[in-house]
Amino acid sequence: MRVTFVMRFLGTATILGGIALYAPGGSALAAEVPSGFVVSHIAYALSKDAKETGACPNGMTLGNTQIVEASAEGQRHEGESDADYARRIQTAASALGTAPNGDNLCMHPESGAPDPHYRSVTGLNIPVDGIDLDGQDSRANGRPAPNTCPHDDFRGMNGERGIDNQFFRVVGCSNSFQSTGQSNTYEIEMYTGAWGILITLKGVHDLHNQKDVEVGIYANADPIELSPTREALANATYAVDQDPRFQATTHGRITNGVLTTDPVDVRFHVITNSIRLERPLQDARLRMTFTKEGGLEGIMAGYTPVEDMYNYQFGYRDGKDGTGKPANQRLIFGSANGAARVLGHTCNGVYYALKQFADGHRDPKTGQCNSISTQYRIKAIPAFVVNTPTQSVNSPLDKQ
Amino acid sequence: MKTAGKSGNVAAGVAVCAAFCLPLFGGSSLAQESARPPSEPDEAGSGQPMIRRLTESQYRATVADIFGPDIPIVGRFERGLRADGLLAVGTGQAGISSFSFEQYDASAQGIASAVVSEAHRGQLVPCRPHSESSFDAACAKQFVQHYGQALFRRPLTGEETERYVRTARAAQQRMGNFYEGLRFALAGMMDAPDFLVRIEMAVPDPQHPGRLQLDSYSKAARLSFFLTNSTPDAELLRAAGAGELNTDEGLARQADRLIASSRFEGAVSAFFQDMLEFDTFDELAKDPVIYPTFNSTVAHDAKEQTLRTIVDLLVTQRGDYRDLFTTRNTYLTRALGTIYRLPVATRNGWESAQYPASSDRAGILSNVSFLALHSHPGRSSSTLRGKSIRQVILCQQVPDPPNNVDFSVVQDSSNTAMPTARIRLEAHRTSPACAGCHRLMDPLGLTLENFDGVGAFRASENGAPIDASGTLDGHEFEGAPGLGQAIHDNAQTPRCLVDRMYRSAAGRSILPAERPYVDYLNQVFQADGYRVPDLMRAIALSRSFYLVSAPERGETKSPQRAQVQTRNGGHS
Repeated sequence: MRVTFVMRFLGTATILGGIALYAPGGSALAAEVPSGFVVSHIAYALSKDAKETGACPNGMTLGNTQIVEASAEGQRHEGESDADYARRIQTAASALGTAPNGDNLCMHPESGAPDPHYRSVTGLNIPVDGIDLDGQDSRANGRPAPNTCPHDDFRGMNGERGIDNQFFRVVGCSNSFQSTGQSNTYEIEMYTGAWGILITLKGVHDLHNQKDVEVGIYANADPIELSPTREALANATYAVDQDPRFQATTHGRITNGVLTTDPVDVRFHVITNSIRLERPLQDARLRMTFTKEGGLEGIMAGYTPVEDMYNYQFGYRDGKDGTGKPANQRLIFGSANGAARVLGHTCNGVYYALKQFADGHRDPKTGQCNSISTQYRIKAIPAFVVNTPTQSVNSPLDKQ
Repeated sequence: MKTAGKSGNVAAGVAVCAAFCLPLFGGSSLAQESARPPSEPDEAGSGQPMIRRLTESQYRATVADIFGPDIPIVGRFERGLRADGLLAVGTGQAGISSFSFEQYDASAQGIASAVVSEAHRGQLVPCRPHSESSFDAACAKQFVQHYGQALFRRPLTGEETERYVRTARAAQQRMGNFYEGLRFALAGMMDAPDFLVRIEMAVPDPQHPGRLQLDSYSKAARLSFFLTNSTPDAELLRAAGAGELNTDEGLARQADRLIASSRFEGAVSAFFQDMLEFDTFDELAKDPVIYPTFNSTVAHDAKEQTLRTIVDLLVTQRGDYRDLFTTRNTYLTRALGTIYRLPVATRNGWESAQYPASSDRAGILSNVSFLALHSHPGRSSSTLRGKSIRQVILCQQVPDPPNNVDFSVVQDSSNTAMPTARIRLEAHRTSPACAGCHRLMDPLGLTLENFDGVGAFRASENGAPIDASGTLDGHEFEGAPGLGQAIHDNAQTPRCLVDRMYRSAAGRSILPAERPYVDYLNQVFQADGYRVPDLMRAIALSRSFYLVSAPERGETKSPQRAQVQTRNGGHS
């Protein structure tokens, strides 16, 4: 199928992607093919549950409360009331969450030590979703790829070798990252309109094989449009974030109907408990296929800086409020400690695990890697993508 | 795709149309149109003075014009009565139920409270009492006369003024506050039939002894509601009081002033909302599983989209009415863009747009408003769309279906053996009882089958390509653009508009004796290039618009008769 896309202008807005209706010069296209997309589904690309794969032979990660409950001092005393017992457990759990120097470990995980109760995926033959980022199977010759650190690759869901997904290794033994857990359902935030992701393709002539395609990956500045049943609607219009930090373009190719792109740094928004954070992905690349509905489906993968990963996923430390100022510290403190308690991990445990399994952007001076391979499985549906300032209908209220 | 078989159906359709399509107006005299400027016939018939209930939009516009747009209206409005195809005609036939009156009273109390509130009294109460705790008769009288004239669209009689001042005094004595007294007086005026109902008064026509015409204030009201969809403003009431509306120059001055005002757009918009039956949007529902893009925002925006297109073309651009059916210019919001599959850069609000030349859309009949409104909750309807075009756009009557119709074939839109609406309707038309009417409706409606039940484009149905060919009075065409051009070129299209416009203005059906006058309006409309503002001006300036006749003997108990007697024997 040969298709052509066209740049159109609406006032001051440039349409970066949409449904191509005309070829330049006005000749009609044989078919409507989208060149703009909005991500409608996103989740970390992980694996099947540990119970099924045997990925966690040493058990699952525990939170501070569970650690205390499992200890000798956490056993219930004879005659101890429910309230007294709960209070004693929480006191002990809070103590576990505090560093020797008095720092709260969710706010300052580096003040603590690695958590011996933290569990990570140790198995090698576990099928994991994702793609090969560093271009080699780490077990093939025993030497890491340039600019990476030694790590164990996984095999893919279809048996392919060399899958770089160290983030799964960090969280794969966390109950909250199993299929029934809460940590991998953050696309719900996207459906509230808090953030979104846009993709554009330019220069596509053949959906099956094309040597060069210009690909745009942007943070969405507009809330996602949903149906009454909370499904993302196709053919809606979205504006790209006007901050250049949230705009990225790269090149790619289509081979046998599979779009793959060259690495590019991308950055998206995250909002948790009204705390505004950023989700960066270094050397990000897409490996996606075109669906029969006109959308894209596949993997977005890259390397997340360890500190950023800890901050937007676990600690919320560098969160901002709606005005761009640092968010309320009590809100951050409560959110990070609350999340650790509810989701069942220790902040220092996850922080040191991220550092331990970091495999990207090796610092030649220290030999340490500063980023961790991270893979997302995403689906995107056709949309019109415009490059124009946009604002909420309530924005004028901000000036009052 | 044209076939011999279809041609046969076309011929049959024309023949059936001759038997069943009942034009709602005559109009053979248009064949005698000449290049000579048309002149208004002297001996046109005339209807009786009307008593017409304010529509919801007129009530809201009136309150906003008199008190300002920030005065809230809390009551709910009873659904209007559609008569002879128009709510405007129904306003002369509908009564006021007890529920409706309760709602009017709730609105009146809310409005009056807001007007005399501390936040608004400084601006809206035209005088200051000597003391809030004692009654200031002079200030109360000034207040009553000021708002009484605005609300009743005429000066109050001395008796009326005294009645409402008494109300204010009694309320002040009971409530202990002067403004509370004004509140009750104002609410009383807003509950009065003189406000809620446009009561026309007749006086003898000095130029035509033995005939009647509307009195000056009734003229002012008819003129104002026709050209602004709201109550007469102070200048119009002044001109009425000065007798200026009884001269051609004075009437033209006021009509031109109102047409030039921003409120004129509201009148044009209100007329087309009525004509296109947009009041039924309030009950429009779609199956969210079948049509996930449809929601209340889309419904609201779809209606507004068509009205914006109409106002822009007819008023702003002063374009040809017939071009409404072919124009590709439109307005879009993000919500609509999802259905039209067009980009809309503006996140909140409207932006002008064009349907691409290859998009199969042209004219307001290819808008979501028409396509969704005349569809079922879960499927499109060629029949409803065709029927609406016949009745609403061409003013032709399509008989109701017989009561023993088997709809099972038509309603099964998932029948893969009959995948398209055309095939299903052809099967349905094998019933002789159905064939007659469907041959009128389907050839028009089927040309819009490329649009589903909410108006989104589709090339196929159940995997089968859609044949969007159709006919109108023997002319064959393809798809929505072809339909729009056929409607544009059809002589009935502008005549129907004239017919509806006059009925809306007069608030009643057209009398047989008025046919020469309507023919005159048709000539004016044609001569002026089918420009709606010019047509409305011609109606507003014509003598016939204000002529009324006395009721026949034996109708002395009718409201019209009563008002003629009251006015003639009272304060005219």
